[in-house]
Amino acid sequence: MSAPGTLAMVRLFARQELVLAVRSRWTPIFAVVFAALSLAVGFSGYIVTGGFGMQDFARTAVSLVQLVLLLVPLTALLIGVMALAPERGAAELLFAQPVPRATVLVGKLVGLFEALAAAQLIGFGAAGLTVFSQAGETGAGGFLLMVAGSLALTAIFLGIAALISVGNVGRRARALAIALVVWFVAVVLFDVAILGVATLLRSGHASRLLVTAVIVNPVDAVRTGTLLGIEGSAAFGAASLAFFRITGGSTAAAAYLLVSVGAWLVVPTVLAVRRLERADL
Amino acid sequence: MIRFRAFSKRFGNHLAVERLTLDVGRGDVVALLGPNGSGKTTSLKAAAGLIRPTAGEVAVGDPPRPSVLAEARRITSYLPQRVSFPDTLSGLEVVEFYRALRGAPGGRVQDVMKAAALNGAGERAVGTYSGGMVQRLGLAVAMLPDAPVLLLDEPTAALDPDGLCTFYGLVERHRSDGRTVLFSSHQLGDVERLADRIAVLVEGRLVATFTASELALRLADRGVMRLRVERTSDAVLAGVRTIAPRATMVGSDLVVPGPAADRPRVLAALQATGATVLALTAEEGRLDAFYHELIAEQEERHP
Repeated sequence: MSAPGTLAMVRLFARQELVLAVRSRWTPIFAVVFAALSLAVGFSGYIVTGGFGMQDFARTAVSLVQLVLLLVPLTALLIGVMALAPERGAAELLFAQPVPRATVLVGKLVGLFEALAAAQLIGFGAAGLTVFSQAGETGAGGFLLMVAGSLALTAIFLGIAALISVGNVGRRARALAIALVVWFVAVVLFDVAILGVATLLRSGHASRLLVTAVIVNPVDAVRTGTLLGIEGSAAFGAASLAFFRITGGSTAAAAYLLVSVGAWLVVPTVLAVRRLERADL
Repeated sequence: MIRFRAFSKRFGNHLAVERLTLDVGRGDVVALLGPNGSGKTTSLKAAAGLIRPTAGEVAVGDPPRPSVLAEARRITSYLPQRVSFPDTLSGLEVVEFYRALRGAPGGRVQDVMKAAALNGAGERAVGTYSGGMVQRLGLAVAMLPDAPVLLLDEPTAALDPDGLCTFYGLVERHRSDGRTVLFSSHQLGDVERLADRIAVLVEGRLVATFTASELALRLADRGVMRLRVERTSDAVLAGVRTIAPRATMVGSDLVVPGPAADRPRVLAALQATGATVLALTAEEGRLDAFYHELIAEQEERHP
């Protein structure tokens, strides 16, 4: 019997990772929490403005974007690192098999993405079905764009988790600590720091800094792109607004954002693969 | 089948292995013996393609290929020192995963589970296994591919008695099939029982190679016999010293250092003095002292 081909091996690792993710407590907990929060966000939009019932798709999507930006990078980083930084004995046995290291890593990433995507789709699906039954299909495109943004963030931060993990084989606690720092910087600290620095600069320099910030940080890129698709520039903050003005309109802005997200989807994973191929295990 | 040529590996400032040159031929069973931190694991990992040489070459197969290539790993099967598996998978799922990975026939799963004495626990989650069972599961995975080269890093360190039987059977089967085995161990018993040749590593350097019988002889030379004798006297000690000049009295025990081959003559000399032996114990040479001796010998040869 001959050894399976590359694609079959990627599927083998992906299936294994999917099984492990489903059996671990974290992915099912994430699915339940995500569904509960999505439904809560859908209902709460009207409640805080004195209304009652479910928002339409567009409003629900705008409300959910903040939840996605906060929760999705965190879960992708933590679940990714826990899965991709195995104990030394497990890693040694796995990488001593006649399979290129890139195949192992890509297969695991595919499986993790499938597991996390399924968990999110359960959550978004529950909210989407409820919105559809209560408020009809108006704004469904924006909702789907938000789902796509969430899935893109999942893939991006799984790639970053891979990059963290391959530098910390057998040191899972250290890898988890680094993942938390990365999440805090990307999601919380980055915007605050950029806005703080921008206030100290002259207008032109500040604008350029804010534009760069939107492209450099994948969280900002996804936020800006999703809000742009749902409501145009109406819901933008300072950085996104500066970005929108300087790029000269929706089409150019969308193109820049797509390039940024595309780069973030590819670069961390490629770097992780290259680092893993040179690593001593 | 396994070729180390001036292989060196440095981790930061630490030189783990220094210019190791060693050939392990087809059908050879070779043991790497040495204290902790002597470079045994690093050498085995290099043969398994897990680490890249800082200098020199590590190749496996015929014709030899650099061990870091996936094609080279196709002919090797490696068992790490402390193997681990995901807790939520069953033993059968673990073995089935590696079977699919190696492209081994489906029937192998039951064969290796049975050989590892795990066929009754295959459906159970690995998280419920004892340490010995996990190590046996590792052996089952190592047996799966029928690889011509078997690399085992301290395989008996965490094995229970069932696992030891499995391990001895695996190595004997590989030997009789003309396959190659390179393993490391701290257990002198394993080394003497299984290895055709023993390579002794100390502080990253290959300090000596022996056949199993040469090693046994060297260690026996360093042994000590302790005797409790009824009515000890200067005459008894003098009689023994005609054969073993370093013999001494320690408390009520007669301590006789020297080669194991001299022991029957020592006992005969004791009998000739009319002494009666009440108890006798014999210790073979301690490995740590032996390692120091080998280093000293090597430094004498290559100052």
